Amino acid sequence: MGRLSFSDTRHLVSRTALGQQWGGVKALEGKTRAEAVKILLSPVVPKTPPPPRLTPYANMQRMSMQNGSGKKQARRIMMRESTILKRWWMVHLLQNKTPVNERMTLFWHNHFTSSLEKVEQPKLMYSQNKLLRDNAMGNFRTLLHKIARDPAMLIYLDGSENVKGSPNENFARELLELFTLGRGHYNENDIKAAAIAFTGWGVDRHGNYVYDAKKHDFRPVTFMGRKGKFTGDQIIDIILEKPRTAEYIAEKFWHEFVSNARPDPRFIKTWGAAFKKSNYNINTLYSSVLNSEAFWSPKYRGTIVKSPIDLLVGTLRSLPFPKLPDTELVHISQLLGQDLFDPPTVKGWAGGNNWIDTQTLLVRTSLLNKLTRHSQASAKMQSYLPKTSGEQVIKWLLPLSPVLPLPSTPGKRRMVRALMLDPVFQLK
Amino acid sequence: MNRRDFLQYSSLIPLASVVPSAFAGTQQGQRPDNIVVMVELKGGNDGLNTLIPFRDAHYFRARPSIAVKNGIPLKNNMAMNPYLKALMPLWQEGKMAWIQGVGYANPSRSHFHSIDVWETASTRLGEDKGWLSRVLPARPRSVNGIVLGDNNLGPMSGANSSSVAMEDPATFLRQTKYLNKRNFSASNDPLRHMLNVQNQINMAANQLGKIHYGKRSPVRFPTSRFGRKLALVTQMIINGMDTPVYKVSLEGFDTHASQTDQHNNLMNHLGGGLKAFSDAMKRAGLWNNVTVITYSEFGRRVAENNSGGTDHGSAAAHFAIGGRVRGGIHGRPPSLAPQHLKDGDLVHTVDFRAVYATLAQRCWRRPNPWNKQHQPIPFV
Repeated sequence: MGRLSFSDTRHLVSRTALGQQWGGVKALEGKTRAEAVKILLSPVVPKTPPPPRLTPYANMQRMSMQNGSGKKQARRIMMRESTILKRWWMVHLLQNKTPVNERMTLFWHNHFTSSLEKVEQPKLMYSQNKLLRDNAMGNFRTLLHKIARDPAMLIYLDGSENVKGSPNENFARELLELFTLGRGHYNENDIKAAAIAFTGWGVDRHGNYVYDAKKHDFRPVTFMGRKGKFTGDQIIDIILEKPRTAEYIAEKFWHEFVSNARPDPRFIKTWGAAFKKSNYNINTLYSSVLNSEAFWSPKYRGTIVKSPIDLLVGTLRSLPFPKLPDTELVHISQLLGQDLFDPPTVKGWAGGNNWIDTQTLLVRTSLLNKLTRHSQASAKMQSYLPKTSGEQVIKWLLPLSPVLPLPSTPGKRRMVRALMLDPVFQLK
Repeated sequence: MNRRDFLQYSSLIPLASVVPSAFAGTQQGQRPDNIVVMVELKGGNDGLNTLIPFRDAHYFRARPSIAVKNGIPLKNNMAMNPYLKALMPLWQEGKMAWIQGVGYANPSRSHFHSIDVWETASTRLGEDKGWLSRVLPARPRSVNGIVLGDNNLGPMSGANSSSVAMEDPATFLRQTKYLNKRNFSASNDPLRHMLNVQNQINMAANQLGKIHYGKRSPVRFPTSRFGRKLALVTQMIINGMDTPVYKVSLEGFDTHASQTDQHNNLMNHLGGGLKAFSDAMKRAGLWNNVTVITYSEFGRRVAENNSGGTDHGSAAAHFAIGGRVRGGIHGRPPSLAPQHLKDGDLVHTVDFRAVYATLAQRCWRRPNPWNKQHQPIPFV
C-alpha cells in the first residue's frame, strides 16, 4: 500500500474533520491509508464547554399553559435561549479538539432531525445534542433506541400525541422513511402498525421520557409481514434486521464523505454488510468508507459542495483570520442556509448542489470577500500562514486546480484571497 | 442600499447606470401579458376547513371539535372560511374561482414526497425538474421566475430554468457586486451548477437594479412576512419585470394539534395579503394581467385527531383570483361519506395537473405537456 501524499491527507482531513488545519494535514503525510484512518477514527471522549443555563421544561410548560402574558414570556425566553444555544454550539464547532466526532454529531443532527422551531424547548434540544455527540461514533442500534425516546424527538414528531384510539403516524412514518429504510421499502400499513406499537410513548411534566400503559394500544398488528403485539423497541429491532437499513445509512455516508454523485451500489452493499455484521458499529462503517477505493478515487475528489458549516467553521479553523463575534457567526450560518438546531424540514438540510442557489451563492461570496479584504488585521495574518510554496498553498486550500486566473503579483495573502474566491474553494 | 453601495454596484454594470433605459423596449425588458403568482400553503392546508361543506352531516360528525360553523356561504352548499372574508368582494365580482378535490391518485402523505410530486408534476422518484421549467420556454436572457422568501426554486427548478430565489431584492442587489462575473471552465457537476447559478444571478441583477428604484404601489400591505413578500412581487410587476411567474409561500399549515386558532390565523394572513395584492393590481391597471393560485402538498384527513388537529390527508380545495378568472366553484366535491373515503381520506376529483394545464394553455398560451391525460378547467 502506497504512502499518502500531501493532497491525499488533505482530502482525508477536509472530508472528515472541520476544515483542513495545516498541522493536521501534515501530520498524516507519509502514512498508509489504513494507518491514517485509524489515527483519525481513534476513540475520543468529546469535551464541550459547560452548557448554557437553560430554563427547565416544567417552568416553560407552566408559563406557556397560561394565557396572555405567560405565553408571551415563554416565547421570549425560548427565543433568547435558542440564540444562546446556537452560539454555544457554534463556538464549540470552532474550538473543539475532536473535529471528527463533532462532524459526526452534526451528521446525526441532520439525520435524526428536530428543530427548536417545533420543539420550543432549548433545554430538550441541548439534551438531544448531547445524546448525538455521546453516541456519534458509537452504535447505531443504541442511538436509534435512544432517539426514539428522546423527549425533543417525541415532541418534534408528535410522539406524545400518539395514543390508543387515535394514533399519530408522524414518528412512525419518519422512522421508516428517513431514519432507517428509506422510501420504497415499506408500505402505508407498516406505518400504521408501527404507530400503534409506539402508542403510549410520551414526555412527562418534567420533560422526561415516559411510557404510559393506559395510552398504549395492545392490539396485535402486522408489521413487515410479521404479526404480533409489538412494543416500539421490537419494531426498531425488526427494522434493524433488514439489510436495507444498514445500506440506507451507508448511502448517507456516501453522500457525506464520498460524493454528491449517485452512490455506487457495489460499495453500498459492501459497507452495509460490514455495518450490519458489526451489529451497527458506526466506527466500522466509517472505517469501511474511508478505506474504500471509492473514497480515494480521483473521480470523486472535489465533488462535494461544502456545507455552510464547512465553509464558515472549516475556513476559520484552517486560516488565521481575526475572530468574528459568535452572534455574527450564527447569523451568517442562517443566511448560508444551515441554521443549527433548526433544520428546515424533518428531512434535514437537502445538501449537495442545493447548498448553492441564487441566494446562498451571494452570501458565500460576500463572506469570503469580507474575510479576505485588505485590513490591518489581515495584514498581520500573513505571518501566521504556513511557510511554504505557492504551489503547496494551492494544494492545501483547493481540492482541484483553480478555475479563475491567479494573481500575477506575488504575495501570500493575495494568493490566499484569490484561492478563496475561486469557485473551486466551494468544493471539498 | 445606500448611495455608495449603489455607485459601486452600478459601476459593475456601466450600461445600466449610464443609459438607464438601455433595457427598455427590448424583448427582455417587457412585462409579460399574463403573470401567475403561485402561493404555496406550506405544511398541507386543511381544505375542508377552507372551503367548507357546511350542510354535510359527515363533515360535522368527523370533526366534532374543529368543524367551522360560521363559514361564509358561497354556493352549492359550500362556505368559505370566515377568516378569508377580505376576499369576499372578489367572490362577489366573480373573480374568485374555487377548484374542489384537487389531488392525485395513490397520494403520498409524506410532506417531502408529496411537495416533490406537486413541484415536478410527476409521481416518479428522482424527477428533479420543476413543472414550470417544462411549461415555460427557456429564455436564457430573461428571468423566467422569481421565488421570494425561500431559497428553494421548487416548481421552477431545472438546469435551464433561468429563475432566481431570493429573500428580497434589496439584499439580493447588495450582494451581487461581490460575485464573479467571469466565465470559467466547469469540469464537474457541482461546478457546472455553480456557473449556472452565477449567470442567473448576474442576469437578474441587471433587471432588478432598475426596478429597485422604481415606483411603489400606494396600497398598504399587511406588515406580516407574507404581506411584505406580496408587496415586493407587486413592485416587480408594476415596474415591468419581464418575469411570467412568481412564487411566495405562507408557512405553518401542518396543523397536527390545536389547529383552530392556528388555521384561522393563517387564513387571515392569506386573505388580507391577497386582498391588498388585488387592490394594488387594480390601481396599477394590471388586474387583468395577473392570476394568483394557491397550492399545497396535500389536504388533511377528514376526521380530526385527538389533539384537536388533523393528520396528513390527500385532496383539497384550492382557489384562484385575478381579473381574467372565471369565478365560481369548479370541479366535483369529493364525498365525505365514510364508505367513499380511502384510508380515511378524500378521493381526489381533479388531478392537480389539470390546474397546471389550465395555467399553461389558458394563461400563457403554451402547449399542455399533460395533453393526453389532463385537460384544462375553465377557471380562467
